[in-house]
Amino acid sequence: MATANTEEEKSKSEQQKNHGGGGGFTRWAVLAVIFRLILIYFPGNLNLSSRPEVSTPLTSIRRLAEGYWLKQSSMSPYAGSMYHGSPLLLSVLGPLTVKRTILTYSVANAELKGSLVTFYADLISGILIRATGWKLQMTYRKSLKSLNLLNKSTDSGGLSSGDIAALVYLWNPFTIVACVGLSTSPVENLFTILTLYGAATGIAPLAAFGWVMATHLSLYPAILIIPVILLLGYGPDAPPSKLFRSKENGKVGDDTSSQDIIFSWGRVLHLLVWTSMWSVYVLVLCSISVKQHSSLQEMFQRTYGFILTVEDLSPNIGVLWYFFAEVFDFFRDFFLIVFHSNILFMILPLAIRLKHRPCFLAFVYIAISSMLKSYPSVGDPALYLGLLGLFLDELADMQFSFFLFCGYVGVSLLSPVMHNLWIWRGTGNANFYYATAMAYACFQIVLVVESVSSMLNHDRKLMKLSASKLQK
Amino acid sequence: MAEVEKKEVAAATPPWKPKPRPIVRLGIVLISHSLLVSVVCCTAGVVALFLLPMLAKNTYISENALMPGSASSMLSNDDISEAERLAKDLTSLNSGAADAGIERRRVLAKYLSDLGVEVGYHKFEPHQNQFHPLHFFSSPDSGLSRENGSCSSYGINVVGIIRAPQADGKEAIVLVTPFNFRKNSSSEALSISIGYAVFSLLSRVTWLAKDIIWLVADSQYGEYASVASWLRDYHIPVFSASSSHNADSCFEGNNINLLREESLDRTEISSGFRRAGTMAAALVLKVTDVKGQLEDTLSVYAEASNGQMPNLDLINVVNYLAVHRQGLRVKVEKFLSVLRWEWIWVLGDTLNFIGKVAGSLNPEWKFGISTPDYVEGTATLANSLYRQALGIPTGPHGAFRDFQVDAITLEISPKVVYTNQGRRNEFILRSARLIEGVVRSVNNLLEKFHQSFFLYLLTSPAKFVSVGVYMIGFALLVAPLPLVAASLYVDANKPDPSSQGPKHKLQINFKPWKWLSAAKQVFTVHAWGVFVSLLPYFISQIPNSTPAAHSIIWFSLSTFGLLVLYLITKSHSKPQKGEWENLKSVTISVVFIGLLLMSVVNFATAQIGALVLVPACLLAQPLKLDIRDASLKSFLRIACNVFISFVAFPPVGFFVLKGVNEGFGDMDVGEFWTWLESLWAWNSATYIYIGMVHLPCWVLCLHILLHSC
Repeated sequence: MATANTEEEKSKSEQQKNHGGGGGFTRWAVLAVIFRLILIYFPGNLNLSSRPEVSTPLTSIRRLAEGYWLKQSSMSPYAGSMYHGSPLLLSVLGPLTVKRTILTYSVANAELKGSLVTFYADLISGILIRATGWKLQMTYRKSLKSLNLLNKSTDSGGLSSGDIAALVYLWNPFTIVACVGLSTSPVENLFTILTLYGAATGIAPLAAFGWVMATHLSLYPAILIIPVILLLGYGPDAPPSKLFRSKENGKVGDDTSSQDIIFSWGRVLHLLVWTSMWSVYVLVLCSISVKQHSSLQEMFQRTYGFILTVEDLSPNIGVLWYFFAEVFDFFRDFFLIVFHSNILFMILPLAIRLKHRPCFLAFVYIAISSMLKSYPSVGDPALYLGLLGLFLDELADMQFSFFLFCGYVGVSLLSPVMHNLWIWRGTGNANFYYATAMAYACFQIVLVVESVSSMLNHDRKLMKLSASKLQK
Repeated sequence: MAEVEKKEVAAATPPWKPKPRPIVRLGIVLISHSLLVSVVCCTAGVVALFLLPMLAKNTYISENALMPGSASSMLSNDDISEAERLAKDLTSLNSGAADAGIERRRVLAKYLSDLGVEVGYHKFEPHQNQFHPLHFFSSPDSGLSRENGSCSSYGINVVGIIRAPQADGKEAIVLVTPFNFRKNSSSEALSISIGYAVFSLLSRVTWLAKDIIWLVADSQYGEYASVASWLRDYHIPVFSASSSHNADSCFEGNNINLLREESLDRTEISSGFRRAGTMAAALVLKVTDVKGQLEDTLSVYAEASNGQMPNLDLINVVNYLAVHRQGLRVKVEKFLSVLRWEWIWVLGDTLNFIGKVAGSLNPEWKFGISTPDYVEGTATLANSLYRQALGIPTGPHGAFRDFQVDAITLEISPKVVYTNQGRRNEFILRSARLIEGVVRSVNNLLEKFHQSFFLYLLTSPAKFVSVGVYMIGFALLVAPLPLVAASLYVDANKPDPSSQGPKHKLQINFKPWKWLSAAKQVFTVHAWGVFVSLLPYFISQIPNSTPAAHSIIWFSLSTFGLLVLYLITKSHSKPQKGEWENLKSVTISVVFIGLLLMSVVNFATAQIGALVLVPACLLAQPLKLDIRDASLKSFLRIACNVFISFVAFPPVGFFVLKGVNEGFGDMDVGEFWTWLESLWAWNSATYIYIGMVHLPCWVLCLHILLHSC
């Protein structure tokens, strides 16, 4: 507790020191909020909620409205393969989508309320990212100080990485589009970020709640349990433990250390207990919610089953729809296993290599799963690009940043044009659109590879620097 | 391109790998010789553009099911005389009378219902074209607004539908003849004759597999508006009770004549909107009087909005039937001024000579083309490029393309105005047989047109350049952009030997992120571009002002916006090393992305834009550096830069082009405004391109030129 308090004080003093930067942050954050409100109240004719980039079968709020309607008229919300989300989301967001009066008025009204929910979700996500960023930066400073590597020039910059990450998240066009375009992905992102925040600040119940909810809503955050355990066990990101050990012993490469970074099993146990409690709680809530017209089994089939078997082959920005539209039926199961185990295969090696940086590990997991998930939307890159900002200090030497930036801009402009060419003009075909999806996947691969390699390079650099310091 | 850039950045990293992979080395070589590569590529790109008329292939009918001309025509003189009787009845009505229009419609409807086909009226309000800057990215119907305009002006189309006797009614072929019911025009009556002759034949034949719709479009508010609103009502039915009620009340309240007419014809004419199946193809038929022709000619217009073309097979069928069956001369529009350019003829001679020499060396090399053919091809190609680049449909057929229906306009012009009934009948017979043949071919189709090309440029009615050929020239032209961007980026971000501090300091210098400030500038300028392209929407609301005043307001507001931006973002710090290189690198990358996007949206615009923007961006370099250098090379570069940045300014470019085409006689500032207004009224992507890619990049190039490094 005492350490937490001192850290808090420190962060406060830090905040005061960077007052100018903080002012800049507030200004930009408020601008982002206002910009969103303007877009929400003047939606124009952009028709964002029907774009394939924004609304996938899982995230479309129109489908949610349909599910709510089915439920209201005493049917299973999963009847007719329209809705594939959580029954809890239906209970919370459903009433907002209800149509009360005549057609035109109610739709506008429902859209407005729906966008306000996503708007608040975005806002809270931004705040949580900023708080996580503070925490991460504190730890980073502390570990640098303990290694005698901190020099004054590093903290002279304007905004801290947490501020930048929050601003990147709030101003990212992907986030804005997902927010204005009535998709539920801001809510899912909120829970993922909540998980990371809870884990980074060591609040096990919060982390457990975030993880359970995120997993319940979109399944893929399930793999985040490993970074969360590591975060709670080891504490937030720090340079490799080898460094501290060698510092203790005054020599590099001496493995006979007495004092190791302690993995606190107590907190992890705490987390696991809370996780099981929250899961049971959520399951009970779900079963209450669905018991009238449906069952828990149907819920699992229609949500997780739908995600895992890639039933809906309508085009999206991912790579699976095209593949499973082309593949022969008798190979389908095989390739389903191959594609999903792609994500699973990467978990263990990455966890071993990056165990000293659990937050970054979480970022890598999120990026990989958003690349390989069955129904990706623009909400996914919004999340991992926002998290990328958290590691600004470590990734300062990242290669290809300009190339990646141009690639993301180019692909996100080209993709709607190709879709238009295929669907509305009829002069293109599915390959045109799929080509942009593949290019997008390639850019994500480059991003992941580059960020991981530059993070490892950063560790190596720290190692080299501390070795040279010790030799002096 | 992307790979090259990647390789390039890899090259920029410190050389701890002694021997990079061959592909990386290739990239390094390309980037280190980017000047040479860009000169070679750009020249090759321009040369390839001028070679296109030579590389054009003869058209061929790709879809076997079409089988044009395999059946003999069934059209007889009886159909013609019946059609002529209709035309006489229509023209004999007193055009001065107020209800002549109504009367004509009734005569037409009478004739049609006598044929035993379904007849219907379609009422519409001519829509004012509205500004939808984001129309391109949304679906076609989303921008549609069904507001209650004034009920004072509306038009009425007459629609006849033949149901195919042995088909399920899921497909249809559309014939359109624009006709102004209020006016007497002999050529329009002639087109009605042709249409009616074909229609009456088709109402009797047994081989129909698709329904036939004949739309006599009321052209008093323009041909396009009537066809477009009919198509909209055809494809987007109104379910909401309130809006249809509005429309009805409008008509009922304002027009008693119409009511009378409806009550008269209630027995034969259905009151609801009549539909047939999905449209397989549409033909718009027009007859015009053009003086001084040697023979009967048929002009084909195909360009729809944003440079979209109908399937080439449709043009092929028309061309084949017109030339080989009916002996009409088929024409495609061309730039006549190109024919006057001396240097094109010289170029044609040269190419002809080279072809002959090559042919004498090896008889298998047959790429020669005769000089007149080359010049004609160039003139047609130039027109084809220009029409596609404008993005404005060249006729009522453009409305069909928005609903993915292949359509062309056939404009038939007789040699003389026929006074002799026999000659006139023969003309009608030939034209009607042409239409009959095309309908019969399309009738054979099993699926939508899909075999042949959608992306092509015409160099003559029977010759085309496909996307695979013209893309090569474009790719060569833009290939230097990523290369030069990469090499500039490397130069600007070279590790500075002087700043290499002692090793044990943890240096977080954000060097690789230096491009961010340049990106910020570029983004700001592009945001200004968006502002500039949205301005005309507000300016056009100002009542009672001339186009010239509009353009002056627009120009001054834009300049003012730019000045404000400049004052806000002006940095007082000393320019850093590599600043303008970074800026140029980002600018070039943005131009590359913009051109790539535009080449997908509208190739012709991208091609023309690349011809201007690519040299402007590649040559841009601070004038200060060149002046300091004071060599012949730098002097040349200054001259080129000044010239290009003068011409690349959109208004100047417009007036220069216009001057070259029509002579530098009377120039009006308002013309540019009128031109742009037509672009945005038609939702042309070219307008967006000019506002959001071309203009900002021009400003950035100017900024680089005047950079104080």
